[in-house]
Amino acid sequence: MSMRESNTSGLTLTIGHLYPDQLNLYGDRGNILALRQRCRLRGIELRVVGLGVGDALAPDEYDMLFIGGGQDKEQAPVAQDLYDVKGIGLWAAIEDDMPVLAVCGGFQLLAQYYRPAEGADMKGLGVFDAWTIHKGPRVPRCTGNVAISWNGSTLVGFENHGGRTYLGTAKPLGKVLKGYGNNAEDGTEGAIYRHAFGTYMHGSLLPKNPHFADFLIQLALQRKYGANSINSANGVGNWTPEVIVPAGEKQNGATPPEPSQAALFTELTPLDDTLEWEAHAFVLERMGLYTAATTALQTHRSS
Amino acid sequence: MPKQKSPRLVSREKRSGKSNRPQKQKGNMFGSKNKSQATPTTEGVQRSSQHTSLRAGFAVMGGRTMGALSRRLHLGGGTSVVGIVAQRLYPDIVGHLAAQLEHGSIIVTGTNGKTTTSGLIAAILSDAGLRVWRNREGSNLMRGVASSLVIRALPNGNLRRSGAAISIFEVDEAVVPQMVATIPPRVAVFTNLFRDQLDRYGEVESVATRWIQAVKALPTDTTLVLNADDPTTAHLGELFTGNVLYFGIDDPALDLQFQRSASERHQVIDTRTCPQCGNDYTYELRFYSHMGHYVCPQCGHTRPPADVRVTKVLSDDFDRLRIHVVSANQEGDIVIPLPGLYNIYNALAAITTSQVLNVDWEPIVTGIEQFKPMFGRGERVQIEGRTLRLLLAKNPTGFNEVLRTLFNEETPRHVLFILNDNIADGRDISWIWDVDFERVVKQTTTLVVGGTRALDLALRLKYAGIAQDEMTIVPATPLRAARREKVAHNRISRDAKNMHAGTESMVQEKEVKPNRRYGIVEAINSAVQQTPVGETLFVVPTYTGLLEIHRELEHRGLTPHYWEGRDE
Repeated sequence: MSMRESNTSGLTLTIGHLYPDQLNLYGDRGNILALRQRCRLRGIELRVVGLGVGDALAPDEYDMLFIGGGQDKEQAPVAQDLYDVKGIGLWAAIEDDMPVLAVCGGFQLLAQYYRPAEGADMKGLGVFDAWTIHKGPRVPRCTGNVAISWNGSTLVGFENHGGRTYLGTAKPLGKVLKGYGNNAEDGTEGAIYRHAFGTYMHGSLLPKNPHFADFLIQLALQRKYGANSINSANGVGNWTPEVIVPAGEKQNGATPPEPSQAALFTELTPLDDTLEWEAHAFVLERMGLYTAATTALQTHRSS
Repeated sequence: MPKQKSPRLVSREKRSGKSNRPQKQKGNMFGSKNKSQATPTTEGVQRSSQHTSLRAGFAVMGGRTMGALSRRLHLGGGTSVVGIVAQRLYPDIVGHLAAQLEHGSIIVTGTNGKTTTSGLIAAILSDAGLRVWRNREGSNLMRGVASSLVIRALPNGNLRRSGAAISIFEVDEAVVPQMVATIPPRVAVFTNLFRDQLDRYGEVESVATRWIQAVKALPTDTTLVLNADDPTTAHLGELFTGNVLYFGIDDPALDLQFQRSASERHQVIDTRTCPQCGNDYTYELRFYSHMGHYVCPQCGHTRPPADVRVTKVLSDDFDRLRIHVVSANQEGDIVIPLPGLYNIYNALAAITTSQVLNVDWEPIVTGIEQFKPMFGRGERVQIEGRTLRLLLAKNPTGFNEVLRTLFNEETPRHVLFILNDNIADGRDISWIWDVDFERVVKQTTTLVVGGTRALDLALRLKYAGIAQDEMTIVPATPLRAARREKVAHNRISRDAKNMHAGTESMVQEKEVKPNRRYGIVEAINSAVQQTPVGETLFVVPTYTGLLEIHRELEHRGLTPHYWEGRDE
């Protein structure tokens, strides 16, 4: 079904941007700009709400969450706030299949713990069964362009992290084609739990990976407006369909969709992403992945 | 070519080099540093110091020979290699030569403004009658500093005309601890600290840590010149037991709230917390990013009062800033022939440094007012009837300030952006998403985007709201994938033509994309051609983009070779 109607449909999404003042080190604001622009072009209004230290996170007020990375010094008070103030709300949102994108420091904060080279462990939320170890200043940082395979295509970005992340039961976001990934050892990059995606990829990630941006928007729309919700999503397919939510949380978990709009949404209108895919292919070529670059251009140019 | 490499000799030289380092004394006029030690041959270690000179002489000749060779062979500017070779031959060459300077050394460091600030200091001090030496060739790592000394040294290992000489070294923020250990400076200037090349320097915090380490190692007769409005820089003063002078802006009219459309803008803030208690600062005045009058609501830690301050900015347009400067014993108006708020700080840093050296007011005024913009800092070049202005922008705050300066008057501009991701620029270009390109929207008459990462910058501009047909994209190189596609496409269209004998060709032509051009030369040509004769084209490149543009302009005979720039 064509999405021409959606230009006047009045679909709205609200994204909670966690700690925009503290976790903003690597241009990750570009992710928000990309989501907003890609929604606007389809007549979807995307509201961005900043959630700072001390602000409560009421899961029913948001359709999507984003958390970026910051400096170590600024990460500690944020970790405390995330655990004490926003923890329950964030857990409820994630268990209720809200799409969450966590980049770099944000990814580390959503895992079990962060063990610095010296000093006590920093406790994370434990959304991803994974943990991060910083092996000291002698061990070089993982810095450089990175490409991974994801959902039959590629994701590209730039990574810059001192900590090495190891996955427990968490599934990786993708397999490293070139670069370091989670730990420079096992070829995994990022982590997935339900619709929460952790990754080390800056760049910003979403502008150069428009298919991933649209995937997140689609998850959010389907969750809010879709009839059959997540079953039709063509995504990674490794979430558990069963929703485990404490009884009291369920009513607050999501905004009930209006019936007329629920019928409206099926899939996103394609946009002209020529420039996006050229930039994507350029990063792949920068890393010598010429075949992947050709594939990316061929697959997405025609759409 | 000297190839002496006995390790025993090296270690002895090292020791003697250290023992020869002069003690600093305060003098009278300009605080003349060490007249008695103008030549390093002091009593005692005679033999060893002969070796030192010999060794230094070898190093000097070796370095200069390699430099000349590399220049002749066009391997590059030939500036860094001089220092690299000399240091390889004699690791302590920098300390050895710097010790001979009569008036000692000034080091200037910080994320933004190093080059302009040291240029301003140099202009003032030469107007005051000093012989000024700089590493102005643009290499601000250890080897660049070594080069700048070696090219002025004699084959006997002594500096030429070291009397009445002072050196000003622009120092990369990451090598400050090394530098102050080698050359204990008379004055150390810290301009500011912003995020820059996170892939190279690590986080902003790690640079701050190095600075603290450097400041703690400084001799107490060094004078620190610090920016009061930058919390990290100002904080260094609290950790230093010697003399500290602060500079800053005290004009409330410059507060962000009075700047056009400031409320919509995103400000990149790199220092937000108080070093004493970790609480977030609040601002009484904020000029840009984290620069302003800050106070910690928790513990009361606050901006130090400025010793040299701008009380009023009398006019602020693209080519000049007129400011009123007040200090303990000097006061007056100065015209800075440069654009942008950040150049007020650069001028203040230079004025403050000059005051440390007891320079009169007059050379301060003439030095600043007759200042010629440095390499890529607003310099003007005439090209085919157009004026080209080069404005280096290498990190988010620097870029934001360039954009503010360019578009403050709401005059539509002709602009060429160049974004490179070579090592000297930083491989990571994520920072462009922290730049307020939103303020470029509807402000450009023509817009060309070039460089190795032109596609990324074009994408950034697209998401800022600039339509693709409003800009010309000229990447450094074509995509291989696109070429392969084109080959495939051509083959198909050829087959199609053969089959349909030409009738199909119209349809095929429609599908072929407009011819894209590539490379820096095409980027410049395209931007120049789009700029009408008599108008100004503003070129905003990252560091290596600036070098490429310079090379191209040189090639066209429009600028002198920068490495030939001689002081004096």
